Amino acid sequence: MLEAILIGAVRGGTSIVFAAVGETVTERSGVINLGVEGSMLAGALTAYAVGIESGSPWLGALAGACAGLALAMVQAFMVLRRRSNQIATGLAVTFLGLGATSLFGQSYVSQGVVAFDAYEIPLLGSLPFIGPILFDHDPLTYLSFAIAPAAWWLLYRTGLGLRIRAAGERPDVLVTMGTSPERVRWIAVAFGGAMAGIGGAQLATAFARTWSEDMVAGRGFVAVALVIFAGWNPLVTVVGAYLFSGAVAFQLELQARGTDISIFVLDAIPYVLVLTVLAALSGRRRFAAPEALDKVFDAETRIA
Amino acid sequence: MSELDTTDDAPDVGGDGVTVIDTDEPDTTSDKTVVDAAAGDDTPAAESRPSFEDLALAGPARMGLSVVAAFVVFGLFLLANGTDPIEAYQAMWSSITRDANSFGDVLVRTTPYLLAALAVALPARAGLFNIGGEGQLIIGAIGAMAMAEALGQALPRIPTLLFMAVAAMVAAALWAGIAVALRQFTGTNETISTLLCNYLAFLVLGWLVFGSWKDPGATGFPRSRILEDSETLPTLWGRVHIGIVVALVLAVGLWWVLRYSPWGFRLGVLGGNAEAARRAGLGTGRLGASALMAGGALAGLGGMLQFTGVEGQLSPQIMSGYGFTGVLAAWMVRHHPVKVIASSMLLAAIAIGGNGLKIRAGLSSASVNILMALLLLAVLGWGTARARKAA
Repeated sequence: MLEAILIGAVRGGTSIVFAAVGETVTERSGVINLGVEGSMLAGALTAYAVGIESGSPWLGALAGACAGLALAMVQAFMVLRRRSNQIATGLAVTFLGLGATSLFGQSYVSQGVVAFDAYEIPLLGSLPFIGPILFDHDPLTYLSFAIAPAAWWLLYRTGLGLRIRAAGERPDVLVTMGTSPERVRWIAVAFGGAMAGIGGAQLATAFARTWSEDMVAGRGFVAVALVIFAGWNPLVTVVGAYLFSGAVAFQLELQARGTDISIFVLDAIPYVLVLTVLAALSGRRRFAAPEALDKVFDAETRIA
Repeated sequence: MSELDTTDDAPDVGGDGVTVIDTDEPDTTSDKTVVDAAAGDDTPAAESRPSFEDLALAGPARMGLSVVAAFVVFGLFLLANGTDPIEAYQAMWSSITRDANSFGDVLVRTTPYLLAALAVALPARAGLFNIGGEGQLIIGAIGAMAMAEALGQALPRIPTLLFMAVAAMVAAALWAGIAVALRQFTGTNETISTLLCNYLAFLVLGWLVFGSWKDPGATGFPRSRILEDSETLPTLWGRVHIGIVVALVLAVGLWWVLRYSPWGFRLGVLGGNAEAARRAGLGTGRLGASALMAGGALAGLGGMLQFTGVEGQLSPQIMSGYGFTGVLAAWMVRHHPVKVIASSMLLAAIAIGGNGLKIRAGLSSASVNILMALLLLAVLGWGTARARKAA
């Protein structure tokens, strides 16, 4: 049973890993993007449609990343150039993604899919227990294993990462260095959108292997919550994503085995888990929030 | 931002509160000058060359242009999909103006949107983001149903409905109280907690509808029993129930409360400058909690009105998306409790028009979410003079 849960955690968590790691980078630059949900939807439909039209899931995933990035650019433009409220803009961008994928996706509902197939890595894949959990997945899942360390390396070991973190903490310091915090934030938001797009692509072409309206079903919002949960650390974010999808897999496994507990109580477990951990960590992790990001919530953070 | 409010109520403290939230840059003055310079190629340049901002359009004209632009861009989306936008708009228009009933449908839909929007606008006055309207509507409907079950048609219609309304408001206020408690005791951000609670509310609804409230006689998808006549709202004409009157009265009432009552004043101080509120000894924790829970109660009432006035029975996907639409409506008018009537009606008309789009043009009814989103983006980005300019 443990093996089944862990396999489910990795398989279901991949799309959230992409979105949450991307959002971590975005938020480290001082922008919160609730449009991640919309970017995931755009990525899912675009990857699905381009996959069918071109016959290549890879082209699909690339197009999905571009679609997610395009929606994130709306967020970046509104927030950075028009100075609009980040939360409200993010919700509007998600609505935009919902509506646009509903409009353009109508003709693609439950068509055949050009999917990523699972590829078992030789030798590693035949390891007992670990093999099926980690080394028998679609290629995008393998890519997701690398994405969090890569984001960590980007943030903490490169000049761009330093600028991203500076933009999120003390933008005025960047200014004295002669760098525009706004430009850095554009890059960070774009990266987050592209990652969310790939996450959506994985959802449609590898995990669910279908397109249906609103198929992301809140995963993008969960990703945003997980970023806070993880204290804005990309490596911890991955743990959060697998914990969430592991809870989903756990309750699915319970359902499959037949239990007296209502499925709705079981379905609630992942959300309650995230809320509980958030509550448990919030007090201690508050200091870890990027300072400029805190300013987004200014009026409220000063209430408590 | 506050510019919008200066046109009609200058001492709007809450408007300033919202302004504070709006900045994504440090808002201490010293920081700001540095960062504005930081933008470099942006702000100063924009000041030297004539731009959209320099047209100095009056508030209403600017607002009107933004709205028109949103409609035009939605037309481009339709074109890209191979749909004739003119025909699509005609289909939408005719589905809301065909007869008294179709316009009535707009009023009926305005009711939950307006109350969901007020549920955002009220906490926003205190500087709090409530995006849990979706769940609070659901919990309100559940509270109303629970009261109806408890009463068992023992009372006449009016007292029954009053009890159901109170139950709905209490249930939804307590639901919002989850976010309040998480915030007070652990410092969890209420934006995130109210968002996650939406999913939990739908699960509670599913649990009840598939479980103890399932109508054994219902065929197909599980639903609760159909409400008795004494448990449904009286109608004004056609399908229009009295909920719209309740919603309008509450909107104006909220405006009065925020403007003239001591509580409303304190909320404005809290939202405008929490530090000042704390030093003035306003009891900021309890004040914020009261705003968020009162917001929840408003949404809960909206859920009860939609449930008893339109739906008549609980089903798993009831009112899906209404809460988020309320968020859009509130932000479109910067949380002004009276102007929000107009934005709620506009979004209701678009939603009802979306049904026409589905029937006449064969598009999915969720397509109009694009138009709703564009409207909010247009108003957020261009609806008011750029705040930082004036500062």
